[in-house]
Amino acid sequence: MIKKMISMALMATLCLSMTACGSGSGSTSKDSGKSVQSDADSGQSGDNGNAQDGSSAESDKAAVVDKGTLVVGITDFEPMDYKDENGNWIGFDADMATAFAESLGIKAEFVEIEWDNKALELSSGNIDCVWNGMTLTDEVKGSMNCSNPYCNNAQIVIVPAEKASEYQTVDSLNGLNFAVEVGSAGETQAKEHGLTYTAVSNQAGALMEVAAGTSDAAIIDSLMAAAMVGEGTSYDQLTYTVGLNSEEYGVGFRKGSDLKDALDEFFKASYADGTMQKIADTYGVQAALIAQ
Amino acid sequence: MDTFLEQLPIVIHSLNTGFLQTMKLFFVTLLGAVPLGLLISFGTLSEFAPVRVFLNLLIWVVRGTPLMIQLLIIYYFPGLVLKNPVWGGGEAGRFAASAVAFVINYACYFSEIFRGGIISIPLGQDEAGMVLGMTKTQIFFRIKLLQMIKRILPPMSNEILTLVKDTSLARIIALQEVIWAGQAFMKGSQGISGAIWPLFFTAVYYLACNGLLTLLFNRAERKLEYFR
Repeated sequence: MIKKMISMALMATLCLSMTACGSGSGSTSKDSGKSVQSDADSGQSGDNGNAQDGSSAESDKAAVVDKGTLVVGITDFEPMDYKDENGNWIGFDADMATAFAESLGIKAEFVEIEWDNKALELSSGNIDCVWNGMTLTDEVKGSMNCSNPYCNNAQIVIVPAEKASEYQTVDSLNGLNFAVEVGSAGETQAKEHGLTYTAVSNQAGALMEVAAGTSDAAIIDSLMAAAMVGEGTSYDQLTYTVGLNSEEYGVGFRKGSDLKDALDEFFKASYADGTMQKIADTYGVQAALIAQ
Repeated sequence: MDTFLEQLPIVIHSLNTGFLQTMKLFFVTLLGAVPLGLLISFGTLSEFAPVRVFLNLLIWVVRGTPLMIQLLIIYYFPGLVLKNPVWGGGEAGRFAASAVAFVINYACYFSEIFRGGIISIPLGQDEAGMVLGMTKTQIFFRIKLLQMIKRILPPMSNEILTLVKDTSLARIIALQEVIWAGQAFMKGSQGISGAIWPLFFTAVYYLACNGLLTLLFNRAERKLEYFR
């Protein structure tokens, strides 16, 4: 009898623990107290479910404004999104995202994500946009509603400095073993040029492969390479040689989201009045900026 | 070496913050999974077939699938399928989802250890208790529990040391535990970019923590040496 009662209690606990955890954390937020309140409201009211259905007729913009925070998915990536000494997110993308959220009358909340899962984070509604120097590849355009491009970038080859002179042309790269970030524009370039490569979890991992000698070379973003390779880093024995392509950065929203149009208009306005150039100057990316 | 000394305090601070998150997940999992595991082990020993079948099914699924997949399902399923992202994108939501996944996963492993401990006590002790007029609850708590604890200590220490290290899996849903914090310096964080050593240095944290836990388990085993 006692065992049966315990069993029943156990079943009840299991069910309860699942629902309790589920609803309890709906109101949680990394952001300060202000947004927690609004999050809780939308979480409990029940209309949240419909609002997240942004892919259809519902307005994603309205839902996000209603929620009071624009949740921006990022990775720690100088000079686009990174932390200052006080732990605040700064960078060209971070400052633009904050300004965009302000233009909507809401706050921007930055959340670090696993880059591999960016489309998953977006469509599950855990974040509202991916704004992190994202290269507009066909794959990205297929899985997200992307803004107009705002920044130029290139995929470049990283090799040990002492071998750099041997690998100054695209033709000389055949026969090398490359390390690239899985699902990145670098991987696409490696495929297109028919190079032998190993996919690793992130761009920093690709660099470590070269530094450790487990791969001969890596392909990463030029904006990132400028910050990560050379004097004053652990990778001062590495250098960059050939650029494989030129490409563009954009911001990704949920499929069908009307936030894309809002951002395109915001980009136009802030390019016209010079704010965008000013922010670009601050982080040294003005040369790569694309006219809106 | 000058740069290393400059980097050290920043990196240590960041790794400490990450390790705090690791420890939080560890303790929450332990606090949740031990009682839940005990309940599940009672359930799998139950004479009531539906409960037994349901729990064995649950244990099969949870032990039979990778914890990494369970984390992904628990975090993304509500938003993707139910169209209601209950966890939210913030760090607290990611922690809560990780904690739920870890508690369920470890409760299933613990329950089998507990079950093994319970059935290892000879039936004669139950009979002796019943002859003395004790209820089943009294028999469990007054006679069997301590003996069971003594017997399951070695396998439990195995699982618990593994748990400390398994918490790093939560980085798949971007929980910023210590390995995440170490890896951040590889691409650039807080003015340090391209530093590889912080990632490897995280091993020191795990080693220290597990060293402490091993000492605690040894001590507990010695304390229980007064009976066989």
